[in-house]
Amino acid sequence: MTSTMKPLSELQQLFCDGLRSSEPPAQALLEEIVDDGLQVQRFNVYRNNFIVLNGDALADMYPVIKQLLGDEAFRMLATAYVREYPPMDRALLLYGERFAEFLAAVPELSGLPYLSDVARLEYAWTAAYHADDAAPLEQRQIAKLPSDELDHLRLRPHPSMRCIGSVYPIYRIWSANQSNRVDETVSLDEGGSQIVVIRPKAEVEIREMTPGALTFLQRLASADTIAEAYSHAAETEPEFDLNTFFTRYLFDGTFCAL
Amino acid sequence: MKDISLQSVAAPVPVRAGAGLKPKHYQAIIEQQPDIGWFEIHPENYMGRGGPPLHYLERIRADYPVSLHSVGTSLGSHLPLDTAHLKSLKSLVERFEPGLVSEHLSWSHGYEWYTNDLIPLFYTETTLKLIVEHIDQVQEFLGRKILIENPSTYLQFKQNEIPEQVFYVEAAKRSGAGLLLDINNVFVSCSNHGWSLDEYMSAVPHDMVEEIHLAGHSTQDLEGSTLRVDDHGSPVCSEVWRLYENYINSNGTVPTLIEWDSNIPEFPELFREVCFAEEIIRTANDQYHEATV
Repeated sequence: MTSTMKPLSELQQLFCDGLRSSEPPAQALLEEIVDDGLQVQRFNVYRNNFIVLNGDALADMYPVIKQLLGDEAFRMLATAYVREYPPMDRALLLYGERFAEFLAAVPELSGLPYLSDVARLEYAWTAAYHADDAAPLEQRQIAKLPSDELDHLRLRPHPSMRCIGSVYPIYRIWSANQSNRVDETVSLDEGGSQIVVIRPKAEVEIREMTPGALTFLQRLASADTIAEAYSHAAETEPEFDLNTFFTRYLFDGTFCAL
Repeated sequence: MKDISLQSVAAPVPVRAGAGLKPKHYQAIIEQQPDIGWFEIHPENYMGRGGPPLHYLERIRADYPVSLHSVGTSLGSHLPLDTAHLKSLKSLVERFEPGLVSEHLSWSHGYEWYTNDLIPLFYTETTLKLIVEHIDQVQEFLGRKILIENPSTYLQFKQNEIPEQVFYVEAAKRSGAGLLLDINNVFVSCSNHGWSLDEYMSAVPHDMVEEIHLAGHSTQDLEGSTLRVDDHGSPVCSEVWRLYENYINSNGTVPTLIEWDSNIPEFPELFREVCFAEEIIRTANDQYHEATV
């Protein structure tokens, strides 16, 4: 027994400080561990678990970032991220929310300016995967409406929908790094991407959209009517064609039942 | 001992071998409908708002009883339990009607953030009172009894004043919880700390054991001595199988789970481990019947 008994709160915080630190465990912590000459090694099993278990969760969420950086660089960045932003939630499903922001601030990565946007895309994939379910809009619901009411309808996109715009061709970067297409090369001169991530049925889909289509969906998501959303979309992209858009997306699960 | 009346559950976990449910195996299980007694999940993996994991679980639950084995309650923390987490847990209990609900004898947050790992308790009277209070709160909130699981640990604190097995049993007795006996954890902890396996196992009252866990562990060399690390990443080792078989043969059969959480194999390899456990349960039951005929 130690001569000065620390309260439980202090002991647990001391332990947590040691887990999170990149430095060897503090003397005050080692003094609480039964002395068999291996206290540091024993404690390091926990410190290593903390880094590896949470780092694995990041690797699951960011497979393309991992592929772009290579295993070793990814591990180093994941370790730094876990120390800076440890899990705040007891469920790890969405752990890694700030990874895009974190990557953008790493000076050594300034040569890969698209990385942070690719990370936003990967986060959106997982967020869409675990998002609310919703019944899809069906033809018979629309058929019941008088045609002059259609313009004033407020269509609700599926709750899993995330919109992402980037000045880099992140859709192509993401596609080229799906396991079966590793040989593809992407030039940054290809231009930007407008992407919708959505889980209309069982699977998450990543769709490259035109600027007008993205604006249209974003406006609908913020409760515009079809007419209002369309006028914004046409401003962004004069060629935006509502009929083509609806033919493809109106009843495929992109929108919720009325 | 507190009385927590055993409520009737929709699908009790049978006295058979079960397997930890992994996303990698969803398709194989749904397509092949393997003859497995039950599946266990970590509820934290199903705390999303919607999406495929909950759909798969619903389909699998339609064919098998399930058990919820929580990793996020942090029963031994000085900080209060998280009501939002308990609510999510309760809604999963209501939706999937598990035969058993369990949690670990450990803690995982000292600050507002979570370690996502099970950290050893300080085995003192103060922690015992705290953990009994927290188990009470969980049982009260869920409206049902839970089981608590003995941990695997790699270090001991100088403050410890109660042997782990005594603490474990006492926490359950005082709160009315049941015991989830993880035989691999007993083996790992006894080996790591030089404790007696016999002493540990004989301190655990069999009538309180409602579930057994078996898993594989790895070993590390610590300057000439072996440290066993409970990583659930390999088949159950022969010593643990022997310990399990002896336990079942001398005490009676208990629902038994095979856990495999890292380096997860294809389904047939996991199924083979489940069949080993099932065979031990069957043999023990046959012997019991022969002895009583």
